[in-house]
Amino acid sequence: MKHQITTWVNGERYDIEVQSHHTLLQVLRNQLVFTGTKNGCSEGECGACTVLLDNAPVNSCLTLAVEADGHRITTVEGLAHDDQLDPIQQAFIDLGGTQCGFCTPGFLIAARALLDRNPHPTEEEIRVGLVGNLCRCTGYTRIIAAVQEAARKKRSRRDN
Amino acid sequence: MPTVLGHSISRVDARAKVTGEALYPGDLTLPGMLHAKVLFAGRPHARLRRLDVTRARQAAGVAAIFTAQDVPVNEFGLIIYDNPVFIPEGDAVRWVGDKVALVVAETERQAADALKLIQVEYEDLPVVSDPRAAMQEGAPQLHPDKPRNILCYYRIRKGDVAAGFAQADVIVESAYYTPMQEHAYLQPEAGLAHIDEEGRVTVQVAGQWTHEDQAQIAHALALPEEKVRVVYPAIGGAFGGREDMSVQIVLALAAWKLNRPVKIVWSREESILGHHKRHQMYFKHKWGARRDGQIVAAQVECIGDAGAYAYTSTKVMGNTNLMCTGPYEIPNIHVDTYGVYTNNIPAGAFRGFGAPQGLFGAETQVNKLAAALGMDPVEIRLKNCLREGSLLSVQTPLPPGVSLPQVIARCAQEARWGESIKASPSPTVLRGKGFAAGYKNVGFSFGAPEKCYATVELHGAARIEELVVRHAGAEVGQGAHTAMAQMAAEATGVPVARVRLIVSDTAQTGDSGSASASRLTFMAGNAIKGAAELALKKWKDEERPAIATFLYRPPKTTPYDPLTGKSEPNFAYGYVAQAVTVEVDTETGQIRVLDVVSVNDVGQAVNPQQVEGQIEGAIAQAQGWALLENFITKDGKVLTPYLSNYLIPTVLDVAERVRPVIAEYPDPIGPYGARGMAEMPFLPLAPAIVAAVHDATGIWFHELPLTPERVYVALRERANIANSTKPD
Repeated sequence: MKHQITTWVNGERYDIEVQSHHTLLQVLRNQLVFTGTKNGCSEGECGACTVLLDNAPVNSCLTLAVEADGHRITTVEGLAHDDQLDPIQQAFIDLGGTQCGFCTPGFLIAARALLDRNPHPTEEEIRVGLVGNLCRCTGYTRIIAAVQEAARKKRSRRDN
Repeated sequence: MPTVLGHSISRVDARAKVTGEALYPGDLTLPGMLHAKVLFAGRPHARLRRLDVTRARQAAGVAAIFTAQDVPVNEFGLIIYDNPVFIPEGDAVRWVGDKVALVVAETERQAADALKLIQVEYEDLPVVSDPRAAMQEGAPQLHPDKPRNILCYYRIRKGDVAAGFAQADVIVESAYYTPMQEHAYLQPEAGLAHIDEEGRVTVQVAGQWTHEDQAQIAHALALPEEKVRVVYPAIGGAFGGREDMSVQIVLALAAWKLNRPVKIVWSREESILGHHKRHQMYFKHKWGARRDGQIVAAQVECIGDAGAYAYTSTKVMGNTNLMCTGPYEIPNIHVDTYGVYTNNIPAGAFRGFGAPQGLFGAETQVNKLAAALGMDPVEIRLKNCLREGSLLSVQTPLPPGVSLPQVIARCAQEARWGESIKASPSPTVLRGKGFAAGYKNVGFSFGAPEKCYATVELHGAARIEELVVRHAGAEVGQGAHTAMAQMAAEATGVPVARVRLIVSDTAQTGDSGSASASRLTFMAGNAIKGAAELALKKWKDEERPAIATFLYRPPKTTPYDPLTGKSEPNFAYGYVAQAVTVEVDTETGQIRVLDVVSVNDVGQAVNPQQVEGQIEGAIAQAQGWALLENFITKDGKVLTPYLSNYLIPTVLDVAERVRPVIAEYPDPIGPYGARGMAEMPFLPLAPAIVAAVHDATGIWFHELPLTPERVYVALRERANIANSTKPD
């Protein structure tokens, strides 16, 4: 069965027809070609498919596309604005938070969501905030450091 | 000349990776693309009696179905061609991941639906899933040319172990088991094949060695190598798990026969079932030492489970054979190592390549000897460890540049090893510390041909406007391409911003060998340096552009002598030592790693941030192997094919503090002194944790992983023994 939905991906409106059984991940990757969002397990374990549904991070592999009807979606492609990287993206570059990079989009989205609801997280809060995302390369050290750095950047910008 | 070596410049691929622009194999599309699905056998040992694809062929959207009869040369393998591309009718399936057919259809869904219409009749055969049983007379023989299923056997005979044990004041005998491990790279296997404008079948895929993929595809398709092109887009992790063929050959076959682009993306389950694992191994160790701590004899038997096909087992087991007596100079050594075929998933390369397994027993033996002698674990290591001029078990000296004594001493110092650790505030939580060391070869071993090409092009007129490096070496996440750019900049004085990389494409680069064996920085660095020097000379001679290709060949190595094991096994090594602190919850059996100090002699850190990232990542992966990752099979069937039941460390599981310490004792033949380094931080962690758990609880563990169940049961058993021996 097909459904007509209206969704805003990275600020742009899409009126599209989706299959009722298709996940948000399938529609983002195959129908709308936002391939930055990755599929690592299809069962909500790895977090590589994390996107923002309005302001909440969700596993898009466990979210049906129809659930996006009337909602805003943010993918990794929507983090930067006019070539200006989000501080969390810049911090991942500067501090070595990405290696193979396949988990990176999911981590960036999860970290963005964390910083939006808690701009000054402790290390423990960062760990809890990122526990739904798996990384096999970094051992997480530099990912944590990047989130701390992004939080500092955000703070100093606001202080100015 | 501005130096860029030793500076933590940003990765060349970082921006694409944080913006989502980096394309991995599963992200690629081409117009008119078809989708493929593999039919796996799904049973560990069976005769394929009948295969009927008639109904499936008629299903909606199906373009073709390929089986064994469609493959011109139905075999592949990195070391031995013992692996059929598809199992032919009448032949035996040897593991659950043997491929039976490939369905190609207009959509992925249609391919999956048609797959269910393929009719296969099997006759199940007796399964042999324990390598120790597979070696017995009368066990089912899986390959006709390998009696008792023994794929490979190595031995080392140095000195006289009986005489050695006669001199020993203490003797420690133990059996050890190390489990399989799944690579669990985040990107499941995927690829896209098409016929390019020059008529080549082109496969874009995630691998570790473009030219080896090309050679194996060409072999199976009976094509000249120049008709096959392999290109690596962004690769989502490898760790050795992409060294052997997964989707490469079947994709190439489909695109070649259909003359249309064909894409495949494996699910996580297909990935876990479809590629090799770290070898599970069984060890028997007997070591003796004198009262002064001098180790006088070591006798080891090692049986490794190769699984159904050879993959790289002959090389992995060869490395275990060398590593299982540890980084020590021991006068009397007797080692027997077997690689044995079973109906389990094939075993192959995984970070450390047999060294973690070998060193686990060796390092635990040394820690047990230290405990038996009342000696400090650091002291016994400094007394026995390999140093400049030491003779290996294989009776030849190490290549110059042996830094192990310094690395061990530095680790003890950085970890404040001499100081006692703070007790836990909780009375039911025990703390302990442990120490271990290791060494890891850099590059191919035991006479395997070893070489690496690089081409450097200098473009411009008055000054060098652009430096192009052509290199096949795979960027699997380890930062190799960034290191190549830095080394090219260093060699020429050209700013790194003006370096452009043309990489990982058999049509545009020479054979660089694999991204494995901690070899790429070392090999690519020497090749790029050589090419840069030649190109600079041409530039001075007014050639525009100045282009030079250089083939780097390291010093030769030699294979094991079949009787004594005598050999020159490797041309370079890296050295490592780690100290860890753990906490054991006696009420749950849960182990927490509080602190890891890892001192790694990398010779020269090309990019310290990336080096530290490798150390931290290796430690997390080793901690998974030691404590958490439990790959369960039953009679050849995999019970943990998902990330929901094969658990890898999350951000809450990894050590609270990891301190990567970079030591830089130059390798005399490394580029700028650099050694390979990305495997070695994996090696000492498991035995260091086991020693720390012993320090905390008084219990030695001999099997990994130290799951809470295993630890809790051991604590309970000891408590029961203590209670039963108490007087009433």
